[in-house]
Amino acid sequence: MKGGVANGGPRRFTPGRAAQYLAIAFGLFWSLAPVYWMLATSFKTELEATRIDPTLLPVDPTFANYIGLGGQSLPFFAFFFNSIVSCLLTAAIAVIIATPAAYALSRARFRLRGATGYAILLFRMLPLVVMLAPLYLLLLNLHLLDSIGGLVVGFTTFGLPFAVWMMKSFIDAVPIEIEEAARVDGYPRWQILLRVVTPLVMPGILTTATFVFMEAWNNLIYPLTFMTTMEKQTLPAALVLTFTGQFKTDWGGMMAAATITTLPLMIAFFAVQRSMVRGLTSGAVAGA
Amino acid sequence: MAAAGAISANAPARRNAERVPWFDWMALPTVAVLAVVIGYPVAYTLVLSTKKYNLLDMAPAKFIGGANYSRLFSDPVFWHSLGNTAIYTFGSVVVASLLGLALALLTESLTGWRFRTARMLLLTPWAVPFVVVAFLFRYMYLQNGGVINAVLLDLGIIDRPVLWLNNSALALPSIMVANVWAMTPFFFLLLSAALAAIPSEVIESARIDKAGTWSMVYHIKLPFLRGALFISSLLMIISNFNDFAKIWAMSQGGPGYSTTTLVVYVYRLAFEKFDFGYASAIGVVWLALLLIFAVVYLRALRVNT
Repeated sequence: MKGGVANGGPRRFTPGRAAQYLAIAFGLFWSLAPVYWMLATSFKTELEATRIDPTLLPVDPTFANYIGLGGQSLPFFAFFFNSIVSCLLTAAIAVIIATPAAYALSRARFRLRGATGYAILLFRMLPLVVMLAPLYLLLLNLHLLDSIGGLVVGFTTFGLPFAVWMMKSFIDAVPIEIEEAARVDGYPRWQILLRVVTPLVMPGILTTATFVFMEAWNNLIYPLTFMTTMEKQTLPAALVLTFTGQFKTDWGGMMAAATITTLPLMIAFFAVQRSMVRGLTSGAVAGA
Repeated sequence: MAAAGAISANAPARRNAERVPWFDWMALPTVAVLAVVIGYPVAYTLVLSTKKYNLLDMAPAKFIGGANYSRLFSDPVFWHSLGNTAIYTFGSVVVASLLGLALALLTESLTGWRFRTARMLLLTPWAVPFVVVAFLFRYMYLQNGGVINAVLLDLGIIDRPVLWLNNSALALPSIMVANVWAMTPFFFLLLSAALAAIPSEVIESARIDKAGTWSMVYHIKLPFLRGALFISSLLMIISNFNDFAKIWAMSQGGPGYSTTTLVVYVYRLAFEKFDFGYASAIGVVWLALLLIFAVVYLRALRVNT
């Protein structure tokens, strides 16, 4: 058990403790007020959303903004679907390809091990925009522009290096003795990975996949450049592209769309936030 | 580390006799995919950077040697964008890491479900997508009907609505506020974990020595947090160098060039002017800067830990 930061005992109420609680309350306000504002606005009418004297609670709460997303000129379900599919595909592919590599980097001895590790770490640091033009031309030649497949290729550029490092740190944490029995029985390595290691690092796999999913969901530059048909856009890109049109003055509608965009990320985030820390910290150090 | 584990699995006598292979086929899929989606584009960027290649001129790419690079050195927008990138990145990371540190220290000692919930809630901004952060703050910054102006007017801090995002002096700091808001939970999370990992004997012995709150934080806890601070800052510096979504969705680099960072500039060059050659040259220079930075930073990290 950890003791208190304040000088007094854990239960005594001191000025120091009062200041501490006040600071935490301020932190909570700072973190939550904008999110509350987004939610509140999403239930306001267009007129109320931009009143000069903003209302704390919607005066006349309405679901019209959410209903409007479904039945308007813009295919919001399609955007949502595109985002979900491209991000899930990226996460799944990244984890499947990365896990054997992470296993190799964690367990095997080979001469290019250090070089491979460094290369993957460096790839992680590459500015995405440096690759933008050539990647665009590559997808153009492969006829993958304006398709989910092309988008997944783009997301893989940052998802895969990240997945390797995160998975490596999770596999590093599995004691090698556990594999001993299977090794003695003469199982090939890929079987050991599949049957012994994978079940043990399942939480790590899910965490890594979620993280890649979140990064892909956040990405704006690739869908904006690689997708040309509006119906094929992802949700974040659609928000940016439609802003000048439909949502120019309709902040209620905008905030409803923003809420919908946030929801999947929020769910994914809170599902794995515990094990996320371990993968992040050790993954970063293990690379160096 | 892990290699030691792999070695111990083999009998010591066999270790030297066994030939160490050059490569492990299990890493092959990753290496192959990365070679295609990253290796090829980066190599191609190097090639493109020596060419005059504009998709709008129907002409094929023409080799012009270092001309793109010399153009870059006399391009004021490039230097301005570089400066903006540095201010945006380091300003946001410094403020967010200090806020995250403060929150981590404040909530460290607290237990019970109320504070567990509080800790979860403090993480909320991180789960908000970048584009949503951008539009949410853009909405709150509105001149008429924006809640920030309304509150500041009510409190008497300002006497007329401020044009936060349309003022070239205020636009970049305003976006940085949104960025700090979104990034602080990351530092809070990692630093809380690092705090929890400090051996309790260390804290106990300091307490027996009657260390005050501040000296406890400064002399005992901060040294333990140095590694975590270094790593989390590095991760966030890299991600901020690359940040496109927040800036693009809030200001598109404007007004003027006041919020144009390198990402925004390269994006505009490549996809509004279709000047792929020049955009690639900037990409290469930037890549070099980033690599130098990463190497220096990682070396400093190793010295420090």
